[in-house]
Amino acid sequence: MRSPFASRALLMLLVALIVLVYGFPYAFLVSTSLKSPQAALAIPPTLLPQQLSIENYANIGEHPTVQRSFGNSIIIALLSTVITIALAVPAAYAVARYATWAGKAFLFVVLITRLIPPVAVGIPLFVIMRALGLIDTHLGVALAHSTISVPLGIWLLASFMESIPRELEEAARVDGCSRFGALLRIIIPVASGGIAVTAIFVFLASWNEFLFSLLLSSTGVKTAPIAIAEFKTQYSIQWGTMTSLAVLFSLPVIIFSLLMQKRIIAGLTVGAVKG
Amino acid sequence: MKRISLVLAILVLLSLSLVAGAQDPVTLTVLVEQGGVWLQEAAAAQFEEETGHTVEFVNVPYGSVFDRLSAEMATGGSAFDVATIDVVWMSHFAPFAEPLDDLFTDEVVGDLFASLVADAQIDGTFIGMPTWANTEIIFYRKDLWEDADEMAAFEAEYGYPLAPPATWDEFTDMAQFFTRDNDGDGEIDMYGTDVKGGVADFEWMIAVLQAGSPGVVLDADNNIIIDNDAHVAGLEYYISHHCDMDVAPPNVNEIDWGVAENLFYQSQTAMFRFWGHAYRLTRGDSPIADLVGAAPMIAGPGGVGAIPGPWFNIVPKTSQNKDAALQLVQYLYDHNAMGIEAPLGLAARKSAYAQYADVEGFENLNPLLATLDSPQTIGRPAVGDWQQIADEILGPIGSDALTCEHDVAELLAWGRAELEAMGYE
Repeated sequence: MRSPFASRALLMLLVALIVLVYGFPYAFLVSTSLKSPQAALAIPPTLLPQQLSIENYANIGEHPTVQRSFGNSIIIALLSTVITIALAVPAAYAVARYATWAGKAFLFVVLITRLIPPVAVGIPLFVIMRALGLIDTHLGVALAHSTISVPLGIWLLASFMESIPRELEEAARVDGCSRFGALLRIIIPVASGGIAVTAIFVFLASWNEFLFSLLLSSTGVKTAPIAIAEFKTQYSIQWGTMTSLAVLFSLPVIIFSLLMQKRIIAGLTVGAVKG
Repeated sequence: MKRISLVLAILVLLSLSLVAGAQDPVTLTVLVEQGGVWLQEAAAAQFEEETGHTVEFVNVPYGSVFDRLSAEMATGGSAFDVATIDVVWMSHFAPFAEPLDDLFTDEVVGDLFASLVADAQIDGTFIGMPTWANTEIIFYRKDLWEDADEMAAFEAEYGYPLAPPATWDEFTDMAQFFTRDNDGDGEIDMYGTDVKGGVADFEWMIAVLQAGSPGVVLDADNNIIIDNDAHVAGLEYYISHHCDMDVAPPNVNEIDWGVAENLFYQSQTAMFRFWGHAYRLTRGDSPIADLVGAAPMIAGPGGVGAIPGPWFNIVPKTSQNKDAALQLVQYLYDHNAMGIEAPLGLAARKSAYAQYADVEGFENLNPLLATLDSPQTIGRPAVGDWQQIADEILGPIGSDALTCEHDVAELLAWGRAELEAMGYE
């Protein structure tokens, strides 16, 4: 029989291995960003910078478009998160509370929309947004991102809502709350952990999205992923600049995730055990 | 007198109507990738000053130019008044592009390289105005080629003076000569050149033209020529530096243009074939920053040959500002030389290159001129499925050939069969 210590050591080793596999590309990204532009291109590449250089970061100041694109990404991601949560919460609540045949069918259809590749809806979305005059606007891109996120949001939130005891809501109704009031005052606060998790996923999906942002933006609302990709031109890839921008691009998400870590874990386990 | 007054009155009315019809200032939106901004922004700024119009560049990553314009084309509308596109996309966007035949006067045609004039037309209609043309030339280390000891040693071994290579044989000799194990540890420290297996769908085509083929893969009438003698000779020459001589780094499949450029600028290769613009972009912190020389592309049995990589300005048919857009395209052509001062340092007109060819710092322009002006510098066939041919036929042929285990003629015969399956004859 294996001792608890051995089991724990094995587990830790496994965890370390997984962290290494997932962490290495990011560590190499950070390392490359801290090399001089010339050293970033060395063949064979070195794992660590032989001389630390912040030249790549300093060069970012030369690209005002990139700086603006970070602002656009934040605005669009926040807008998309608000739109998605506003639509997904009532939809998920309805599906969870009215466990009808239609509700299940609705969930299934919502799932199917997740299976459609974004490239297939890119052009129809472009036509719609142009007709609405929303090309190259924050709202237009945020709405497009919401088409990806709303199905995800409904599915995530529906499972959270199902885990909330009906008795809570019924008690509120007995005390004179309307159904909408119960949703607002009881269900949403109780499901706040799940809503936070959903919001994080939605924010991330919008933050990283490329195709819709490319199709629906011109100069006004260009997002950071597109601005970063512009450093890969027909003839060259500016690895130094790209890696430094990628590090900066990832920082808000990492910081946000660390700050919300407890909430995320709590939210993810809400629906795990049903009574 | 009455008649004169009448004529004068008509003339006054006509000029008034012309003034009234003059265009109000508009904003012209131009879809480009970064190179297009660099090469055209100076001329565009001058255009704004002179006309009152505004030019707004929408800069997207390279491949996204195609995606974005395709989306616009599919919807039958366009946010763009001008798009600067790669030659390989011309036939795809031809139905979407306004004919530009009126801009191609004899004077314009005479000042453009023949391959660009050919590439600018789809089915006999000019749809794109060349804005710059790049092609591969020879880059070499001046400190090696101009070193007295190296020159003497080379001449003693090969029987002719060391100078930038001009032919296939000279290129091979010099690649062998400069492949060195400097510290005697059994590892090669500097290779004579490279073989870019990472862009195998393109690189061996250049040797095919140098071997004398009238075109690559298809002739002018789109008949299959992929298995002609020049294709066999070109492919054999392309792989020979890897398969027969070991004068190039062995990891050929990892070497694309970017890697090849880094190898050279980190002095791990003595010379290489590369796009002419790179000369102007030599990084100051490269160990060979001031030691780079440029020469025309080498000649095979058919002469100097290369595949041009031109970009064209097209005017989408759906542009809401078509007149001003055409005016901008004409202006960018007229002021084409302004692009040479930009980082990429490229243009499309012979006169633009000639204007700077003897200026210090532009030593790459004479080699570019000589290569682009050679009769064997021929563009890729203007067929809509060219990218499919490159990805599914030319790339695999190049990669398989670089394994050094296949008969070249058999690979090309397979290429013919694949082309026939696509409907070519």
